[in-house]
Amino acid sequence: MSRSQQLTVALRELASLRREKTIVLAILIQLFVAAFSSFLVVGLVSMYDPGAVDATSTTVGVAGDETDDLLAVAREEPGVRALRYETGDAAREAFYDGGGPTATASGSGPDAVVVTERLDDGTVEATVLVPDGSVRTTMAVVKLQELLQQYETVLRERRAASLTHDPVPVPPRAPASPYLGFTYTVLVPLLVFLPAFIGGSIAVDSVAEEIERGTMELLRVTPATLPQIVDGKLLAAAGAVPIQVALWIGLLAANGTPVANVPELLVFATAVGAAVVALGLGVAVATRNRRQAQFVYSAGILALFAASLLLPETPQNVVARLAIGSAGASTYASLAGTVAIAAATLVGVRWAVPRTNTDGL
Amino acid sequence: MDPRRTLRIARWELLKGTDSVNRRTVLVALAAIAVTASLGVAVSLASVSPDQGIYVVGVDGDSPYERVVERDDTFVVRDAQRDQLGDGIDLYLSGAEIEPADTRKGRAALSSLRDSVRRYNEAVMAGEENESAAFPLSVRLEYVERNGATPAADPTDGDDGGSDDGGGFDGDATGGPVSGDGSRVAVPRVGGQPLFTSTQQGRPGDISPPFPFGALVLAFAFVVPMNFVIQAYGASVLRERIDRRGELLLVSPASPGDIVAGKTLPYLLTAVGAGAAIALYVGGGVGSVGAVVPIALMFLAATFLAAMFARSFKELTFLTVTISVGLTSYLFVPAIFTEVTPIALISPLTLVVRDLLGQGFTAGQYVFSTAPFYAAAAVLFVLGLGTYREEDMFTQRPVHLKALDALATRLRGPKSVAAMTVALIPFVVVAELLAVAILYPLVRSLPAVLVVPLFFAAVALVEELAKSVHVFGGYVHGRFEDSTRGALTVGAASGVGFFLGEKVLLFVYLAGLPALDVGRMAFPETAGLAAGPTLALLVAPLALHVATASISALGARRSARRYGLAFLLAVVVHLVYNLGVVLLVA
Repeated sequence: MSRSQQLTVALRELASLRREKTIVLAILIQLFVAAFSSFLVVGLVSMYDPGAVDATSTTVGVAGDETDDLLAVAREEPGVRALRYETGDAAREAFYDGGGPTATASGSGPDAVVVTERLDDGTVEATVLVPDGSVRTTMAVVKLQELLQQYETVLRERRAASLTHDPVPVPPRAPASPYLGFTYTVLVPLLVFLPAFIGGSIAVDSVAEEIERGTMELLRVTPATLPQIVDGKLLAAAGAVPIQVALWIGLLAANGTPVANVPELLVFATAVGAAVVALGLGVAVATRNRRQAQFVYSAGILALFAASLLLPETPQNVVARLAIGSAGASTYASLAGTVAIAAATLVGVRWAVPRTNTDGL
Repeated sequence: MDPRRTLRIARWELLKGTDSVNRRTVLVALAAIAVTASLGVAVSLASVSPDQGIYVVGVDGDSPYERVVERDDTFVVRDAQRDQLGDGIDLYLSGAEIEPADTRKGRAALSSLRDSVRRYNEAVMAGEENESAAFPLSVRLEYVERNGATPAADPTDGDDGGSDDGGGFDGDATGGPVSGDGSRVAVPRVGGQPLFTSTQQGRPGDISPPFPFGALVLAFAFVVPMNFVIQAYGASVLRERIDRRGELLLVSPASPGDIVAGKTLPYLLTAVGAGAAIALYVGGGVGSVGAVVPIALMFLAATFLAAMFARSFKELTFLTVTISVGLTSYLFVPAIFTEVTPIALISPLTLVVRDLLGQGFTAGQYVFSTAPFYAAAAVLFVLGLGTYREEDMFTQRPVHLKALDALATRLRGPKSVAAMTVALIPFVVVAELLAVAILYPLVRSLPAVLVVPLFFAAVALVEELAKSVHVFGGYVHGRFEDSTRGALTVGAASGVGFFLGEKVLLFVYLAGLPALDVGRMAFPETAGLAAGPTLALLVAPLALHVATASISALGARRSARRYGLAFLLAVVVHLVYNLGVVLLVA
């Protein structure tokens, strides 16, 4: 009999959310992020790691003492097209002209200029000119950095006799997707934790608003006892979390990002969600005022997040390692620990709420 | 509107706002801040890497790469055989050989190892005695403006970072923003990448590429305070609607205009004040603050309307989040196209960016960027004011029904319908400009046959909505004569209003939008003007607008479903007309 009271309260919660139709917005935003993750990742990574998006090739004008060497290195670099100029001034002139109103879209001049000078001590100084304030600037600088680093490796190899330690040979370039790291370390954890935080916020709102409007009193005169009411609200808010996470994981997989260890991820998401929702509920009952409750809840979440960074394996890291399939013993230990803490929080809140001063609730 | 009453209400708003945060909350908040601050210190001491342990490396025997992977916590090192590759092992190291697993993850691991080896080598070389052999290449990177003219002398005002202090790039503040009194501001950085470009000197490994769209990110900082201000503002307005608290102010001599102006003023000043403070900090000027004012007004106007429609704080929270996300996207998307001035100017953030970079903007460009915002904000406030009265304020109805109420309160007959259509034009402009900004990259990559009809469909939808939604609201509230003749009159009025209001779109000339293909497509009236006015040019659009508005009005008269069908028909007619015009002109 008591099970159906809790379920009734839970279903009533969900029905009121659905009727207001605005919870749909939060879900739509997450849906958008998950469904279009491939596009979003490309856009975001181009800001985070500008070298990753090699859409066009950069034309570099080369002049100076070491032109032949640089041209040889540039031939091996993808995405760089090198033009030889006889003197540094000729290269500079072509560079400046290239930015003027007569330049065509493909650029009649080089995107950047490198002028090399051999110094007395045998080292080489390269002066690099890059256009300022253009969208192509970041692209050009990244390509130039790769070119110059490769050139530096060649120069070091020539001077290997004067070095006491040999540099480790640089592995070959791999046709790798630069978005992989970002997707698994940022996007997947985001989609796993967001439902939990939103669930907590909804729990805070639902309790605080019922208390403010006086409908909590009406709920308490029903056959449902206070622990059952708390259970029902917990069930509604936390129950939505694994469903949402499963949906986002499915959409990500459809978008070409396969996620490993899905059952473990769902368990983790549910544990975090349950803990956060229980905390939110406890805060709302303690403060009894929506504005204060949301404030304390947000501050509490921030503090918890900061505390979690001190752990040997942060929650974000646990999710990343599970999703990418590199889970180790410490990952599973963290998972077990989180489940234990969540269970403790749930039990604690269920025990504490009926024992607070329930007058005027 | 009485300014003294407005100011008094503004003063009450400021003073009253502080009492909802009582002592207990303040103590708890202080405790939370203290805990977070001490944890923040602890965190900065601990080393946190988001990439920790995501790649598994199997080592078989001795390998020079073993030192590298053991130092980098991105990799987890295990003893393994070659046949375990792809089954739990992403990279196999044996001797000098590296073999990645044949999966995306394996290749990404190899790429990561490449970066890791580079970093390791830099660290090893730093310990070498023979510096000219360890670091045989030094780089001086200069960012220069090029505008077709070779400068007389290259600026050589960099101080050399030198390799004696252990390398690393020192940037000087030559390229950074300059504040009003000429003193240099420190070059801001985002995650180690400099926001603004400045001359750098050092080793190739230390080059940090500038953060793309650096100035735009900074412009964004002006928008962030708005999100917090509108939360407080929305809650304040919604609280007036609970328990009929707002009735007390309504029965006072103050008019609804006074009340709303008084409530909004403190929040507007806070938002603009925060903008001015940020401008001072990053070296912007009056131009930045001037561009922030319409953005603040738009945020507040949308929030005011949301608070007048919401039924609960939960609903208000989600509406405010929609507004934040929507307006921020509208501000961000066009501003990305910094090289295409007319598109970029659609967003007032471009004005801020130009002010930060010292480029400035003309009065015409300011009007183009901000006029839609000012106009739309004014219309939203007026609509919200229409519901700020005892009959509407305290009722709980779904949001869309409240919106129709707001539109219908101002309608009396055909003339008011025409006026309201004109008032809705700023939203049409905003929607069409956003479509232009989104379409611009698509036009480059997709064939025109796909893009053009899609765009015309969007334009038709938006325009028909602006012509007919208030007519529908009026019929729902029984404001008009319920006969076919009445419907046709109202429809004609709406069409005429739209035709006249459309002429205001010619202001897009101020930014040179017709110079672009996309601009001509979106605003065909401007293309026509270049060809010279003819009778057909004047009559045809008028006939179109009157016809489609009348179709919608006839449907609206009957029921919501009829209105929906009539609306779709009107959209199809409009689409056919647009495509026809393009085919004739082309």
